[in-house]
Amino acid sequence: MPQSIPPPPTVEERPPTWTERCLGRAASPTWAGEAQRLLLGGALAAVFGVALGLRHGGTSLVFGALGAPAGILAVAAVAVPAFAIVLALANAPLQAMDLLHATSRAAMRAGLFLAGVAPAVAMLVVTVEETLTVDIMGFGALLLAGAIAGQAFVAELRPALAGAPRMTRAILSVALPAFLVFAAVLAMRVWWLALPMLTEAS
Amino acid sequence: MMNRLLRSPSEVAKDCREDRDLASIAASALVAIVAGALLFGAAVGSWRGGPQIAFAAMKLPLVTVGTLVLCVPAFYAIAAVFGRPWSVRAAVSIMLVAGARFSLVLLAATPVVWLSVSLGASYDAVKLLAALAYALAGLAALGLILRGLGPGPGRMATVVTFIGVFLLVGGQSAWILRPYIGTPGRDEITLFTQEHEGGLAYQLCVSVGRLLTSVPSPRTGASR
Repeated sequence: MPQSIPPPPTVEERPPTWTERCLGRAASPTWAGEAQRLLLGGALAAVFGVALGLRHGGTSLVFGALGAPAGILAVAAVAVPAFAIVLALANAPLQAMDLLHATSRAAMRAGLFLAGVAPAVAMLVVTVEETLTVDIMGFGALLLAGAIAGQAFVAELRPALAGAPRMTRAILSVALPAFLVFAAVLAMRVWWLALPMLTEAS
Repeated sequence: MMNRLLRSPSEVAKDCREDRDLASIAASALVAIVAGALLFGAAVGSWRGGPQIAFAAMKLPLVTVGTLVLCVPAFYAIAAVFGRPWSVRAAVSIMLVAGARFSLVLLAATPVVWLSVSLGASYDAVKLLAALAYALAGLAALGLILRGLGPGPGRMATVVTFIGVFLLVGGQSAWILRPYIGTPGRDEITLFTQEHEGGLAYQLCVSVGRLLTSVPSPRTGASR
């Protein structure tokens, strides 16, 4: 008796990929789930830090592994709560969970990007002779990761803020860019302090 | 497969995205990558002749495959953060077919390089010809990547970011395994250059500086 071969699954029927699960919106976000995603983003950024540490080896690997996620986690722990207070003062229609959800997704994006470029960066930091080139590449990747995270954070909040009262939107039109600048400066300062391999002369 | 890769890159890219027949696509792509780079390397190395032919033929596939290996995680991550959260298999296969298209264009340029060398082309002419072949091959590969990404937001951001990573990694990989053509002004043939000439970025800055200040380059320049 001939057996019928089932048709291949269509794109819609396929299970979500790992990146879809990590970067996608949670239908009902939980504190634990979002914290887990935030930590996973940090862990992925640590891979990039280890790649940077390969230039000097030894303790630099540890410093790198701790330093690269530090900038991301500092923004999540310091800048986002401050922004939450501003949002509350402006009476924005956002809850703490919404902010955590946006923060964890943005951190995950930054971490994934940094982990993705880590093998390339590892090769470059090991083989490039001039320290300046390594510094520019390292900070360039971190800046780009920060920009990706910032863009993701804004894109996540924008739909919710679009329905806010006019006064709230006026305040947020200033507060949101100010938050992004503050977060960028904070992250760069933390990376500057926590990644000595990028700031030391050879 | 090679015919489809050259004539219907959109179809191949779609197969990669939708995880169809990836094993055979990947196997064919790897063969094309190695064969194209090997023969092109041999043609480039024939300017110096002797062991340089074998050295360059061995090193160019290494550079191509090595660059792809280092860039696949970057491509996977960049595509994901800009809105294309594919599976690893899809990202790897798109990179492989783009690399195969790249190598097939190099393969097409191989007779041109070989004939130029045979007609007595200078070191600089061979270098420029090889660079031109690489640029054309890069454009062909880029076309496939663009088709692979498909329409939708984040497409250009993905491409621009990935090209930046790819150029850095590809340039540095090629730089650390030089020379391919040989070192002008020197008779000895070495597998790798023994001199510390700085990194690729440094050498590019030096070359730009020389051009701007119109200082002639030394006769024994950096090996290529």
